Amino acid sequence: MGSRASTLLREEEIEEIKKETGFSHSQITRLYSRFTSLDKGENGTLSREDFQRIPELAINPLGDRIINAFFPEGEDQVNFRGFMRTLAHFRPIEDNEKNKDPTASEPLNSRNNKLRFAFRLYDLDRDDKISRDELLQVLRMMVGVNISDEQLGSIADRTIQEADQNGDNSISFNEFIKVLEKVDVEQKMSIRFLH
Amino acid sequence: MSEGEMARLMEEVEEKKKLIANIRNKPWRMKRRLEHLKDAQQFVDKFEGALGKGKGRKLYAYKVMMTKKWIKFQRDFENFKTACIPWERKIKEVESHFGSSVASYFIFLRWMYGMNLVLFGLTFGLVVIPELLMGLPYGTIPRKTVPRAEQDTAMDYSVLMDFNGYCKYSVLFYGYYNSQRTIGFLKFRLPLSYLMVGLGTFGYSLMVVIRTMARNADVGGGDGEDGEFTFAWKMFTSWDYLIGNSETADNKYASITTSFKESIVDEQENQKDENIHLRRFLRVLANVMIICSLGGSGYLIYFVVKRSQDFATRDDLSWYEKNEVEIVMSLLGLVCPPLFETIAELEDYHPRIALKWQLGRIFALFLGNLYTFLFALFDEVNAKLEEEDSIKNATIWAMKEYYANFTAYNNDSSATAPPINPADIIRGPCWETTVGIEFVKLTVSDIQVTYLTILIGDFLRAVIVRFLNYCWCWDLEAGFPSYAEFDISGNVLGLVFNQGMIWMGAFYAPGLVGINVLRLLTSMYYQCWAVMSCNVPHERVFKASKSNNFYMGLLLLILFLSLLPVVYTIMSLPPSFDCGPFSGKGKMFDVISETIDLDLPAFMGTLFSYAANPGLIIPAVLLMVLAIYYLNSVSEAYINSNNELKKKMQMQRDEEKNRRNNTNSTNQVMKDLEDLLPNRSLAPKAPAESSADNDQGGKPAKVTGKPGTAATGVNLQKDVSLASPNPRIAVTHPPGPRGPGPLPGAETSRSRGRAQPSRN
Repeated sequence: MGSRASTLLREEEIEEIKKETGFSHSQITRLYSRFTSLDKGENGTLSREDFQRIPELAINPLGDRIINAFFPEGEDQVNFRGFMRTLAHFRPIEDNEKNKDPTASEPLNSRNNKLRFAFRLYDLDRDDKISRDELLQVLRMMVGVNISDEQLGSIADRTIQEADQNGDNSISFNEFIKVLEKVDVEQKMSIRFLH
Repeated sequence: MSEGEMARLMEEVEEKKKLIANIRNKPWRMKRRLEHLKDAQQFVDKFEGALGKGKGRKLYAYKVMMTKKWIKFQRDFENFKTACIPWERKIKEVESHFGSSVASYFIFLRWMYGMNLVLFGLTFGLVVIPELLMGLPYGTIPRKTVPRAEQDTAMDYSVLMDFNGYCKYSVLFYGYYNSQRTIGFLKFRLPLSYLMVGLGTFGYSLMVVIRTMARNADVGGGDGEDGEFTFAWKMFTSWDYLIGNSETADNKYASITTSFKESIVDEQENQKDENIHLRRFLRVLANVMIICSLGGSGYLIYFVVKRSQDFATRDDLSWYEKNEVEIVMSLLGLVCPPLFETIAELEDYHPRIALKWQLGRIFALFLGNLYTFLFALFDEVNAKLEEEDSIKNATIWAMKEYYANFTAYNNDSSATAPPINPADIIRGPCWETTVGIEFVKLTVSDIQVTYLTILIGDFLRAVIVRFLNYCWCWDLEAGFPSYAEFDISGNVLGLVFNQGMIWMGAFYAPGLVGINVLRLLTSMYYQCWAVMSCNVPHERVFKASKSNNFYMGLLLLILFLSLLPVVYTIMSLPPSFDCGPFSGKGKMFDVISETIDLDLPAFMGTLFSYAANPGLIIPAVLLMVLAIYYLNSVSEAYINSNNELKKKMQMQRDEEKNRRNNTNSTNQVMKDLEDLLPNRSLAPKAPAESSADNDQGGKPAKVTGKPGTAATGVNLQKDVSLASPNPRIAVTHPPGPRGPGPLPGAETSRSRGRAQPSRN
């Protein structure tokens, strides 16, 4: 049982979310149904366990960090608003938006913000730099015991060498953007709505 | 319609078309989308035709519709063709565990299978099936019957394994085919078809090999080679976020690991520190040693073949003496490749280049074997030809005898003698069938040796190492003998030479192509299984070169080498008088002139005779030579301009990097330019970066010329070798369960096990 009524979505809420994130009405309802299907406890919030149930996240080496990106600092539950706020980064960029109002503040799903989301997955201590240690952690997760430690260290050094331009032995956000310049981030980091 | 209206209409049609193309991205409900789509399509259909001029309106609309249908059909066909490619998942699995060079062998195997399938279809459809269906059945004429003397043993297993007995007198071999000019009610010209299929086999193979080489040559090059940010891209973008299946995830982990290892090897090769003179000396020494061993093996084979010719005159031969040649050849084939590999360690090449050298050397070895075998065969053929002359006379004489006896016993001269039972007629020593049998025997024994080697060398070894390890003094897995690595060069060469055998033997044994198709099919499954279960990945994993042209080049060479003997025999040796589709003719290609005389209209005959005139052929050959020269120089010019463009792009990239670093340019031209313009630096000042730069003091801006390397003094630590040995275990485990790592911000000490993935 429980108070199902309070979890139903109201029109005003949809409007607010639309204004904040830019999703359309139908997209929001679609995402809401996904939210409720993940929410096993039926209390209107998601916990970390709910996310872990998604197979693609469970076997992903960066799965934990992605899940963590949904939860604000120090909290264990995320409600629908917070869920949508994070997902807003993955809204597909539409053509007509590119020509709109350049003086308005950057929408949440701009290329820059998408890259910043990805950057935060690697930069654990939030000092705006990916250090060698953080790279080593990522490598360790992706590759495990099959490559020796010294080799992993060399790979991390080489990666920093490729990307670093100001010589501080770490990758800043601007350098990160430069590295991924030729990668089609707008298309890869977007949800594909199928209806 | 006026101009303005036309223009407006065109704009509207364009807009509607754009809407149709983008309708999937619009965040609408399905019903609304369908309505809009229908409206837009109707509009376009109605008015697009109107844009055509006047009378052509309907035709224009029709043409547009046909184009659309054609494009859709092409796309569906492409999808269908891609879905039909066999074994794609198997090969991908091998690739993710063992790297791209091992997978390239399997891709080559698959390609060969396709080519052999086509050859099989040709041979079977145009030669074997007509003879079976429309030709005379078994037992009616001498060439199709087992001779009386052999009939007792014709069904024995040992005789059949030797391809004598019933096997010899079947569609598998040349001797079965009848030389009747046309057979059956369709008037199918079998001898002509036989010759054409034989030559067409070579023609098709040639065309396919060269086309594949040309296609591969396009793929190579491009600026993927001098990779910018190779490691950074691998680190940040290699995971596929759409994988939901845990087995696929395992494969993906393995392939990420392998790809890192490949990059490490490539990097390491570029960094090598060397003493050039010592290296050169070692390389020369290694080559000398190998040439010596090649010469030794050549002499050994020659010696053994000479001895076998002496043996042929004697009768009391032991099993070893009878098979000495084959035994020596197999032993050489087994012993020499590992020997070459050990010697090659002196040379210290990049693994990809070392592989090529290894292939070349083994190729030379096998070539010696092959041609010795051929010479031995030729001796036998010549001996048979002499025998044939005497038997021909004997046969005619025996026939005359038979009829003379018959009329002597029956004084009734009006009765005609019953035909002699085909099994009794004296038979000539059909040399073509003998040659066919030799090739089939060689192929079958090759198949057996290969499969046995895999079974013993890989599987048995793996079983022993795994299970004996529990009770052995040293670690069998890490030390000697450990698990086997997949021998790419040996397998590729085996495949290439096997195909050479097939090409040589297919003319004399049409069934050989079928045997080969079966062999390739079973080989694919067998070797995939063997690789995944008994082999470990190479210690140094390297990326296969992008173009597969090396294997294709070898194949082309073997194709020419196997073309030569067949064409020689067709042109110069007379066919047997009583067996095969060309019996009774002076030369095999007389079939063609016979066809031209009898089947084609008279003027074609005169046309061909004019075309065969040397006065016409020599200018044609000259023209082709000139065309080759011209195309060669054109392609050289293109390559040059390609290199120039690459250099230009490179320079631009370096300049961008310098500009960003706000340091001095190393390019002399740019420096001079800067000097000439005293008050304006060409590099834009980025305030934040320049202050950071100034803080670090003036670092010299040495661009090392490689993109992706930083322009500062970061050294790749050379003392930490990149090639420290990896654990020699098969990569079957993904990284272990992820414990609670440091999460951004969250300071909880909750322990979280790895949740089981289950669908909600």
